Amino acid sequence: MCLLCERYSGGYERWYLNPANYARRLYKIRKGEAEELGAEANPQLAGGMGILGKEFLEAEERGDIETVKRLAQEAEASALGVHFGQVITLDEALKILDIMYPIALMSCACRRSMYGTPDHENFFCIGMGPGMYKWERWPDTYRGGVQYLTPDEAKEVVAKMDKKGLVHTVYTFGTPYLGGLCHCDYPDCAGLRMRLEHGVNIFWKGHCVARVDPELCNGCGQCVVRCQFKALNFSPTRNRAFIDQSQCFGCGLCATECPQDAITLVEKANLPALASAW
Amino acid sequence: MLATITVKDEKCNNPLSCRKCLLVCPMGVLGLGTNVGTRKFKETEPEHFIVRGVRIDKCTGCMECVEICPGNAIQVSF
Ligand code: SF4
Ligand code: SF4
Ligand code: SF4
Ligand code: SF4
Ligand code: SF4
Repeated sequence: MCLLCERYSGGYERWYLNPANYARRLYKIRKGEAEELGAEANPQLAGGMGILGKEFLEAEERGDIETVKRLAQEAEASALGVHFGQVITLDEALKILDIMYPIALMSCACRRSMYGTPDHENFFCIGMGPGMYKWERWPDTYRGGVQYLTPDEAKEVVAKMDKKGLVHTVYTFGTPYLGGLCHCDYPDCAGLRMRLEHGVNIFWKGHCVARVDPELCNGCGQCVVRCQFKALNFSPTRNRAFIDQSQCFGCGLCATECPQDAITLVEKANLPALASAW
Repeated sequence: MLATITVKDEKCNNPLSCRKCLLVCPMGVLGLGTNVGTRKFKETEPEHFIVRGVRIDKCTGCMECVEICPGNAIQVSF
């Protein structure tokens, strides 16, 4: 069980399946007080100029491990309170679309920053919950506006993203309130990139890891392009897919594509060495 | 070695519509941001968008961004 589940699952199987975590307050009008945390969690900034700046890269470069560790821990702690993500599976994403409302497509801040992708080609993020009713107050964060979806339309969109090979990730806006169902890949997503390139953990692994059944796998190789986490490669020796479970984020994208149903997701809770690797 | 990347904003007028350097960089080093914070009820004007070297640890020094920039705005050195 991850820390978030321990704190916020409220008896549900996972913390992000607990409807209470989508029930952020819509209005908070108190003079003289800062906006609630969610408003500070500006995805434009998060995706924008990098989560950790030059100071971090310079410390890494000169081998100053203490500074690297300190800056990483500070970034992780602040993300955990405000804006952080966890990988989920397609099935879980579909379940979420049944428990929260409203649902809206919106422009992806990471890709805007990485490539300057125009908003009309950039609707990769799904915003969820009452925050969506406030988008007009922050037009820059929600550049290009939002497109409201019915739950069924949203499920179609999410299935298409899965087909395309994008990782489903839930993001908080003022933890534990969930506000984003993101669709990410490497190297376009700033959070995923920080994790893979620098080990900075503002983007947690999911609850499962993938396992290849060597009997069922026929070596077709179709799953190999699906992994965004450098966890899956192909073994020519055995003519089988190989998954490094210690590197696997449990997104399930390889499994949804395997024509042999040779890949299954297994709970990390049953694997002592991985049970607390987030 | 870390690259030093400087972008002269006055020579890069509308990165939001140009974005040539962002698309050409083979390592995804450059990033687009704004030089103003987000403001209520207000979208950032195109002239407030800026390009910066963000992931400078990944820059190889290939100079493709420097060569493609129509405004001659980017400098990369080591
Ligand atoms: S987390 Fe993913 S979907 Fe969300 S803004 Fe970043 S890349 Fe886009
Ligand atoms: S897609 Fe399935 S059958 Fe094909 S290599 Fe991957 S695991 Fe094996
Ligand atoms: S091995 Fe499969 S489940 Fe694991 S991260 Fe890669 S694509 Fe996702
Ligand atoms: S010099 Fe090459 S690697 Fe470095 S930022 Fe420019 S295009 Fe990218
Ligand atoms: S190529 Fe030059 S002008 Fe165009 S966005 Fe990049 S820095 Fe600006």
